[in-house]
Amino acid sequence: MTRRAARQVLLILSLALLPAVVQAVYMRNRLSWRQPATADEVSVQEAKSWGREAMWIDARPGTEYEKEHVPGALPLSTDEWDNLLPAVLNSWSPERKLVVYCSKQTCGASREVARRLREEAGLKNVFVLTGGWEAWKSSEK
Amino acid sequence: MEEQRKVNRAGVAKLLVLVLRVLVSLVFIYTGVMKVFTPVRFATDISNYHLLPWTGAAVLAFYLPWLEIVSALALWWSRLCAGASFLLLAMVLVFIAASVTARLRGIDVSCGCFGNAGRNLTFTSHLLIDLALFLVLLILSGFEIRQSRLRQAGSVTPILSC
Repeated sequence: MTRRAARQVLLILSLALLPAVVQAVYMRNRLSWRQPATADEVSVQEAKSWGREAMWIDARPGTEYEKEHVPGALPLSTDEWDNLLPAVLNSWSPERKLVVYCSKQTCGASREVARRLREEAGLKNVFVLTGGWEAWKSSEK
Repeated sequence: MEEQRKVNRAGVAKLLVLVLRVLVSLVFIYTGVMKVFTPVRFATDISNYHLLPWTGAAVLAFYLPWLEIVSALALWWSRLCAGASFLLLAMVLVFIAASVTARLRGIDVSCGCFGNAGRNLTFTSHLLIDLALFLVLLILSGFEIRQSRLRQAGSVTPILSC
């Protein structure tokens, strides 16, 4: 049974390889193999220099937002998207730049929220804060 | 009387296995197809886990969706269905482990497991769906092992088994 299943597993792994390779070759120019397609990132210093033009969006979980956040930032996590988005849209105006941050550079929530703001809410001038909340805290010291 | 009871039990088992196999196949074909069309986004989702370098994430983004589709289809082919059950079980285990470890490392990721369809799901919902799939696949794999043993002993006519 084990040997038979192992043979089957190998066969399935090989069968899946064929269409994957064909697709990868077909789409080779649409994806960078060396580095990810990054969202438009902005440093803390640059975002701060925007002053009131910047609209800060906190993509961290609600509990972390409640503890501490960038002054004036609005919460918008993917878990509470439908509940929180209306408040963001109400505060938004076309001339403002949205700066989305999550806890640190390695978190993915800010990129996901930024993508959804662009694609689902149709907003422009959406940026991801390089270094996230950690970078903001460091800049305040 | 006892014989009739055995026949009834086999009938129920047959129906249960059929329903579970349809369910699992549909879920994996759906999630696989959703991701096949968005490899760049899926690569980004994989990369967000910080378990693989970008190149690895990009390779997996092309390979994993097809592996899900082929495995789901293989569940219906008697020559491959035992392997497909184990492979799907292993994949779900990896998905669960990756999600949980990411959460423990404080990485707030979009799972990516269900392509665009899962973007509005919370971490808990993802985990519950994965755990449900894991349970179903465990039942299917257990059933295949039992059927294989009975078949080797010559005491059963295979019912929907591999």
